[in-house]
Amino acid sequence: MISWLRHQKYALTAALYRLRMQPVSSLLTALAMGVAISLPGGLYLSLANLGQVAGKLPAQPEISLFLDTLASDTHRQAVATRLKQPDIAEAYFVPKDQALAALISSQGLTDIAAGLTQNPLPDAWVVRPQLSSREELARVAHDLAKLPGVAETHLDSLWAERLQAGLSIGRASVWLLAGLFAIALIAISGNAIRAQVLARRDEILVSRLIGATDRHIRRPFLYLGALQGLLGGLAAIGVLAIAGTILRQPVSHLADLYGSSFQLIPPSPLEIATVLVLTTISGWFGAWLTVTRALHQVETAH
Amino acid sequence: MIQFSEVTKRYPGGHEALSSATFSIEQGELVFLTGHSGAGKSTLLKLIAAIERPTSGVVSVNGQNVGRLPQRAIPYLRRNIGLVFQDHKLLFDRNVMENVVLPLDIAGFDRRESLKRARAVIDKVGLLNREKANPISLSGGEQQRLCIARALVSRPALLLADEPTGNLDPGYAADIMSMFRDFHQVGTTLVIATHDERAITALGGRTLHLDHGRIAEATT
Ligand SMILES: Nc1ncnc2c1ncn2[C@@H]1O[C@H](COP(=O)(O)OP(=O)(O)OP(=O)(O)O)[C@@H](O)[C@H]1O
Ligand SMILES: [Mg+2]
Repeated sequence: MISWLRHQKYALTAALYRLRMQPVSSLLTALAMGVAISLPGGLYLSLANLGQVAGKLPAQPEISLFLDTLASDTHRQAVATRLKQPDIAEAYFVPKDQALAALISSQGLTDIAAGLTQNPLPDAWVVRPQLSSREELARVAHDLAKLPGVAETHLDSLWAERLQAGLSIGRASVWLLAGLFAIALIAISGNAIRAQVLARRDEILVSRLIGATDRHIRRPFLYLGALQGLLGGLAAIGVLAIAGTILRQPVSHLADLYGSSFQLIPPSPLEIATVLVLTTISGWFGAWLTVTRALHQVETAH
Repeated sequence: MIQFSEVTKRYPGGHEALSSATFSIEQGELVFLTGHSGAGKSTLLKLIAAIERPTSGVVSVNGQNVGRLPQRAIPYLRRNIGLVFQDHKLLFDRNVMENVVLPLDIAGFDRRESLKRARAVIDKVGLLNREKANPISLSGGEQQRLCIARALVSRPALLLADEPTGNLDPGYAADIMSMFRDFHQVGTTLVIATHDERAITALGGRTLHLDHGRIAEATT
């Protein structure tokens, strides 16, 4: 156990040493990785921000609630009370006369209106629920439709559905891109490690001659891959931080123009940690994929 | 400790470097290996350390058939053997000290203990003041002593030295040989390939003479 720990420590020290010995190529590799990861990372952050903007937009999905023409006053009162509950953000009453007047003026239906003996429109409520998710809208609409005195509810959810569909395409693209760039990361790491193995040919051959096991020789390269991945992750976060700094001013200016106090939201510590863990694993995996083959190549060339 | 029976080594290309060699070396023996250049001395040592495998015949070390050892067992065999290479095989990307501790790092020793042991052998070969130097800045003889220090640091039970005094002036050669004698006296088995007749007469012991890959034993 102690000897195992010692071997790990030795490998880590050796990996750090190798990283330091080639600062330029280590840095370039980290930068290549960082740029690669910052693309899905940036898209992810943009979507998170867009989602936040969407939540604050004034144009909210609405439910139209039409009262039964024969609804009693008690029922009307009950509906009004129901609409004061916390799942409803806002509700306003549209009397049928007002609705008819609006219809006539907006559609130019004066002639037809003149022919009507009585107002065919029902009294109505326009309701905006607290939450705008599709499920919540459907639930509230369904709930309200069941109240006595309510003829029907009409869910104006097209807009919300379009937004949700757009966002979910965006989210799927994030995962797709993340997958693709993880492969790129593994390839970059594998290539860097291959170069390292070939550059350390003498050390490998001599170590073999004085009793190093396969694992002993492979281990520092695996650590090196993991460290390289970690640096790549840090570089990605650096790239995103710079992008965020550049965008902050214009975004808040745009938000001001819309009378909004919207601010760019930075990634959470958990998201940052996730990126670092994933890049570290990818770097390690790339090293693992190539190191055995590269070692074999070094030894047979000898 | 070491047994060769009917060992033949033919290199790719067909050259037979060792022909039907049969001999044995007991634990604690001091054996000199002599012969002209190309006689097969290095080849014989490499067969013992499983750096080369015999074309036919059996090489056994401590009862293990070295020629048949699976790849993963070879490192553990080599950890018990100190190797002094004819071409030194030093690493020029690290200093003298780091070269010497390498075998201990590989075996997973405690670093502080390793450094202490390394310093002691570096002192023994007279390189203490060059501890931090890069081997590339050492003279041929100093490089050779460094290689010897690296072979001795893990206190192996068997030391195989290929021309360990080839580049040394007589004074240092005598020092190295007396170091080898000390090791011999504490029970280390030594096989030394050398042209150094003086050392052979000074230390005594057995001589295996090689002539075009054939063993001709001679005792002095
Ligand atoms: N890897 C190899 N491939 C092909 N031939 C080899 C190889 N190694 C050695 N030989 C040949 O085998 C013969 C014995 O070589 P070896 O190195 O054992 O000689 P030696 O006795 O150590 O010589 P020297 O005193 O010059 O070191 C030589 O003719 C050499 O050319
Ligand atoms: Mg030789």
